[in-house]
Amino acid sequence: MDGYLGVVHLDQVSKRYGRGPWVLRDLTLEVSGLVVLTGANGTGKSTLLKIAAGILKPTTGRVVRPASVGYVPERFPSDVKMSASSYLAHMGRIRAAAAGDVLERLGFAGSLTAPMSQLSKGNAQKVALAQALLASDVLVLDEPWTGLDPEAARELVSLLQGRTALVSDHEGHLAGATRVDLAGGHVTIELSRVVGLDALEALEGVRSVSSRGSSVQVLVAPDRSDHVLAEALRLGCSVRSVR
Amino acid sequence: MISLVRYLAADVFRGQRFLAPLLVFLGVLGMLFSSDAGQPLEAYSGSAALLYPVTAWMAVVVATSEDVVRREITVVSAGGWSRVLTAAALVAVSIALVMALVAAVWPVVTNPHPYTAGQFFVGLGAHTVCALLGVGVGLMFARPVFDSIGRTVLAVFSVVVLTYPLGRATPLGWVLDALGHNQVSLSVLWAGVVGVALVAAAVVVGVRRT
Repeated sequence: MDGYLGVVHLDQVSKRYGRGPWVLRDLTLEVSGLVVLTGANGTGKSTLLKIAAGILKPTTGRVVRPASVGYVPERFPSDVKMSASSYLAHMGRIRAAAAGDVLERLGFAGSLTAPMSQLSKGNAQKVALAQALLASDVLVLDEPWTGLDPEAARELVSLLQGRTALVSDHEGHLAGATRVDLAGGHVTIELSRVVGLDALEALEGVRSVSSRGSSVQVLVAPDRSDHVLAEALRLGCSVRSVR
Repeated sequence: MISLVRYLAADVFRGQRFLAPLLVFLGVLGMLFSSDAGQPLEAYSGSAALLYPVTAWMAVVVATSEDVVRREITVVSAGGWSRVLTAAALVAVSIALVMALVAAVWPVVTNPHPYTAGQFFVGLGAHTVCALLGVGVGLMFARPVFDSIGRTVLAVFSVVVLTYPLGRATPLGWVLDALGHNQVSLSVLWAGVVGVALVAAAVVVGVRRT
């Protein structure tokens, strides 16, 4: 979709894989400047990043992003036969952009001409960052500090200043950035005597539904928890706990 | 798009997985034409039949050359799945066309029967059609349509093996039948249309699956 420079809009985005539970529900977010995603494992950070980058389509909702997006995955593959210089040259040609001095600034210490499979984890991560930083508009970075030494980590923070980036960050490297906690906004309702999960999943405000033995755990947006509780009781469920 | 095609082609050649189908292709081609293979068009039917599974295999190699994570990076860099899958299809088709050319030229050099220019071009066309059909089948069952390489191999192998006994019920059968009877037929052209449509459909299905 067409967007305008440097801003990503996610409007009422929800995502589920096949008929599985909802990973994201009704998320609206505008990414302008530095935005950090936090949340425990399994709260949908990587899924949201992939949707923002254009790798995954949301199940419902709308995403508007600019043309030039750079993406760093959680783990850069370790079995790449191509050399770092060749890879970056190809990525530069695809984007019609020059790689610049990002590798030097990050302190890349490996061989540029050897296959990337021979690089250390940290140096491979620097190549991954260098290809993403070729993008002119927006960066989408999933745990970009993985494997970086402290100096490179500081340099990456400096490289991100003044740019628009959506970053998954457990370690708090970007202190001044806007923070979005994917798990922080949930109310957890534990139910028993649930007849059908589909009816619960269809309720407005429900972010995920998962079976746990004889009970079912429902994650709900805080402003819809009363509505979901009332509907669950109407469906014949028993409420075990709300927290 | 040219930069993307060049990158994907470079990745395929760097990965060396293309060597297996290529060596099988060259080895069997060598055996087919090691002695008198018969009349020109009839001789082409063996190499055309060989191209179909080998190009399907090669298409799977091209489609799965990048692992899932690197493919995602490429998709973001290139601006979307449709561009990357189209570029991958162009790489697979380009390699298949070179293989079709090699298969068409080989008997001209080694077969004791003289080939006219017309026979050569009919043979080249027939090989091109078989190569397109193979690429279409390979891409239709490779990532991202099927996520697991095991399912891809099983599906491509099953379709390829089932195609031969079905004879003239399949586009491949139209081509092999025309070559086997030493005659040029309009059905070869139609088979080519099916081949192009199959490759295009594989790209569309792949984009929809992402």
